Amino acid sequence: MKAVLSAELLKQRSTRTLPGVFAAMLGLVLLAVLLHTLGLPARDLSTSSLQLMVLGRGEFLAALFSAILGALSITAEIRHGTIRPTFLVTPRRGRVVAAKVSVSVLIGAGFGLVAGAVAAAAGTAALRARGIEMQIVGGDYVLLVAGAAAAAALWAVIGVGVSALVRHQVPTLIGICAWLLFVEGLVAGDVGGLGSVRRFLPGSAAAAISGQDPGTLLAPAIGLALLALYAAAAALAGSIAISRRDVG
Amino acid sequence: MTKRIDELGTHTPPEGGARDPVVTVSSLTKRYGEILAVDDLTFSLHPGTITGFLGPNGAGKTTTLRLLLGLAEPTAGEALVFGRRYRELDDPARRVGAVLESADCHPGRSGRDHLRALALAAEIPPDRVEEVLELVELGTAASRRVKTYSLGMRQRLGLAAALLGDPELLVLDEPANGLDPAGVHWLRRFLHWFAEQGRTVLVSSHMLAEAAQTVDHVVIIDRGRRLASGRLDELTEPGCTLEDVFLGLTGGAS
Repeated sequence: MKAVLSAELLKQRSTRTLPGVFAAMLGLVLLAVLLHTLGLPARDLSTSSLQLMVLGRGEFLAALFSAILGALSITAEIRHGTIRPTFLVTPRRGRVVAAKVSVSVLIGAGFGLVAGAVAAAAGTAALRARGIEMQIVGGDYVLLVAGAAAAAALWAVIGVGVSALVRHQVPTLIGICAWLLFVEGLVAGDVGGLGSVRRFLPGSAAAAISGQDPGTLLAPAIGLALLALYAAAAALAGSIAISRRDVG
Repeated sequence: MTKRIDELGTHTPPEGGARDPVVTVSSLTKRYGEILAVDDLTFSLHPGTITGFLGPNGAGKTTTLRLLLGLAEPTAGEALVFGRRYRELDDPARRVGAVLESADCHPGRSGRDHLRALALAAEIPPDRVEEVLELVELGTAASRRVKTYSLGMRQRLGLAAALLGDPELLVLDEPANGLDPAGVHWLRRFLHWFAEQGRTVLVSSHMLAEAAQTVDHVVIIDRGRRLASGRLDELTEPGCTLEDVFLGLTGGAS
């Protein structure tokens, strides 16, 4: 298992995918946080809940990009055919998926720490520069950063699991983006009377971990447990599916 | 590339019964919906032989190799390597090396890193990566990204990957594709050297003239079914080429 793990780490280090995805995430985090903190009227940034929502863009984007990176760890191998030599060397495919899950957790946690910290720091600096009083305190910051790390790590696992199920790169990435950017938003908008289930969905569970929207979302610990269940289910389903199906 | 083949040293013959078949394919069948890609195929390979796996395009050669290598599951029958299903081998990279037709590598990764990742997973020491890179003459291109490689270089990178574990069985799917005449010549000499060590080669091809110069046994299939198999010199009567035999069997003779 250690051998497969070091092989997966080398795969991540030896292409430009990881730095590319990381740079895209960081750029979007800064853009989103600064646009909100500098662009919104001061009254829309005055409460703790509103400030948490803006600074929580770090968690959201870290979760999204970690899921994409986790998915790419499988779909890129399928797309370029390297999945064949990978499975020839390690025919117990569950081990390959487990190694990809472990490496994705590591990278996702790193993405979350950086995105969470950058969003908190840049957002706070921008709000202070506008003379807006910070309503969130030390403990909120810890939760923002640590929660982003946990949420991104678990969403990376969801990315691995979903990609092992779907296998094709484009539908996998569209599916992940559509879910996080659109579907959960529809549910939150109470389309079809589903507003009450929104907090149990994986994107909202991720936001809950970093302490956002405490009135509506689950408590951070419950969100963490729920998202961990989603991640475990996705990884297990993906591992079983890819072990049973033929490799094209 | 000719010199180095003689410098490779000798391979320690595998333990156990040397006469046991290396590959046993029995009643192997693979169905994709309506299409019977492999139909009740039976053959076996013995140590020290180079077997040409021949058939027209779409005959089921690549599907058979994927079934043999555990990448796909048969609908019926079985394909065994060293008496076991590939996916049940303990250390597959040290027993079987394979180059599939698609020469599978990530365009943005260097040739060396491609091999290093496989070597790490198979617990093969990093020195061996440099050895196989030298062997296929990719030493100078090894740190370049694969997207800059020619088709022939990608084929050689695939061969290097297959040889990482110094395997006893080599499975090659259309290996001459993209190789220049010198590369084809080198590959032929290499396969002869490989088989002289008591190791076994299964090589699929539709290039019959080249195959006839390389292989000593053939399995000819069409539409998933075996048409003929055996020693090349027994199948081709004097004055009759492998091409004549092949076209006669596959109905392609005019």
